[in-house]
Amino acid sequence: MNNADIALAPDFGHRWVDALLETFLGRADELGDLDRRSGDGDFGTNIASALRRAQRNIDADRPQDYAGWLTAVSRGFLGTGGTSGPLFGMFFRELSRCAAGAEPTLAEFARGLAAGLATVQRYGGAEVGHKTMVDAIAPAAELLESQLGSNDSPDLLLARAAQAAVDGARSTADLLAKRGRASYVGEVARGVIDPGAAAAAIVLQAAAAAQVGGRADTSWLSS
Amino acid sequence: MRRQILNNPEDLVDEALEGLALTHPSTIAYDREAGIVKRAHPARDKVGLVSGGGSGHEPLHAGFVGAGMLDVAVPGAVFASPTALQVHEGTIAADSGRGVVQIVKNYTGDVLNFRIAGELADDDAVRTEVVLVDDDLATDTADGGPGRRGTAAVLAVEKICGASAEAGAELGEVAELGRRVARNARTLSLALSAGTHPGETEPAFELGADEVELGVGIHGERGTGRVPFADADALTELLVEPLVAELGPARGSSVIAIVNGLGGTCPLELSVAARAVHRSLAGRGIAVARSLVGSYVTSLDMHGMSVTLLPADLDLLPLWDAPVRTPALTW
Repeated sequence: MNNADIALAPDFGHRWVDALLETFLGRADELGDLDRRSGDGDFGTNIASALRRAQRNIDADRPQDYAGWLTAVSRGFLGTGGTSGPLFGMFFRELSRCAAGAEPTLAEFARGLAAGLATVQRYGGAEVGHKTMVDAIAPAAELLESQLGSNDSPDLLLARAAQAAVDGARSTADLLAKRGRASYVGEVARGVIDPGAAAAAIVLQAAAAAQVGGRADTSWLSS
Repeated sequence: MRRQILNNPEDLVDEALEGLALTHPSTIAYDREAGIVKRAHPARDKVGLVSGGGSGHEPLHAGFVGAGMLDVAVPGAVFASPTALQVHEGTIAADSGRGVVQIVKNYTGDVLNFRIAGELADDDAVRTEVVLVDDDLATDTADGGPGRRGTAAVLAVEKICGASAEAGAELGEVAELGRRVARNARTLSLALSAGTHPGETEPAFELGADEVELGVGIHGERGTGRVPFADADALTELLVEPLVAELGPARGSSVIAIVNGLGGTCPLELSVAARAVHRSLAGRGIAVARSLVGSYVTSLDMHGMSVTLLPADLDLLPLWDAPVRTPALTW
């Protein structure tokens, strides 16, 4: 059966956001440490503060559907300082807009991810290889697009997309930054995974986990 | 060790804005929840003007909210851009139905968050135009980097756009006028000592007793080079000469000149510098049509000054002269 029109798991948005909150609030220190080695050290704090703000949005105004859950996260990031905060905010904003129904179909999700990637690139100006979040998002978006319409299940495809994002994030360790705060420190950041790319990969891992009701395995961050 | 009048550094911006609003209750109000400073009595039926950026540049921007200038100021933390949601709130608050001009200094975070806020405002059917201010001659490099920083010319842009909006101009006209001012104005700065970040004990950089940092920005960043300390006339000439060379005003033309203190410069010093600017320009056959002397766009307590020159087209002067009533600028 063609997988494009299959809706993602019931309550996918809710489960995805729960996974994001759990993973990021638990791993903020490690992300902060990556940033201390390559940038200015505030990334872990910023992402934790964005998600705490998302949590407050959710508590104040219980989301009803996928769009509502993702909008709460988007606004959490848009209310956060720095550069990656607003970029993630616009990324989640595109994702929040992808679903026509209560949950997105696989094709809608793939389009949302591609639109999120496009908006991040439009605002940030980064290409693949610049050592930014784009290095994690782009391979995941490409993978979903290329395997859409095949017979593989959404569970399998989201897992593959997450793995592509993790591989993309890990590849940033070998790169010299062309954009973002790490571009100011040059060779110092060589050998360090870009924290924005790491966070983007975790976002995709959380989506894959939400689809099957599991948890994101972020052990690669410290390996 | 630098001592400062400060409670908790984290509360500094909030407390200062509360203080400013308490001092000028008939002019401005501080909405702490939204993180914006707006007019106490919002203007009706005019193009809205919103500006903002990091704090630490006082009286910029909250000091310029009021009749004839800004409708809303959006302050960030010290030297940090306001968030996209804050700018969005400010943009919506500035709109009275005729659209909003966002006046943005050229820094990556400010540009990004204002652009996003413009896109969010579009969802609310509020039209926006951006005027990017990038007047700092010291960062005029052709390397494809972030471009010239925005510094004291933002004051001229806000004053002139404010007068134009108050006079009933349309969104596109106000924005185009602001862009023309930003395009034509240039600023250059120097520092005798760096500012000290709230809560820090040491200034952002150290200078020897016989050194002057030339080409500093307004975020405590280092300048483009160090020159020997000299008297006021000679130091002022270090700023005027490159500005004149860049702008090339003809003999017999006139300029609007802003002599601006960077936060730790006393008024007596600025007046001596203003005298030097007038004499230097007069020596080149250039008249100072209007001038403004004081600390308006600062870098915490940096001891230093900037000079901004803006060729005075005849149509700019009436807008410059138009009445303004804000906490920091009134005539």
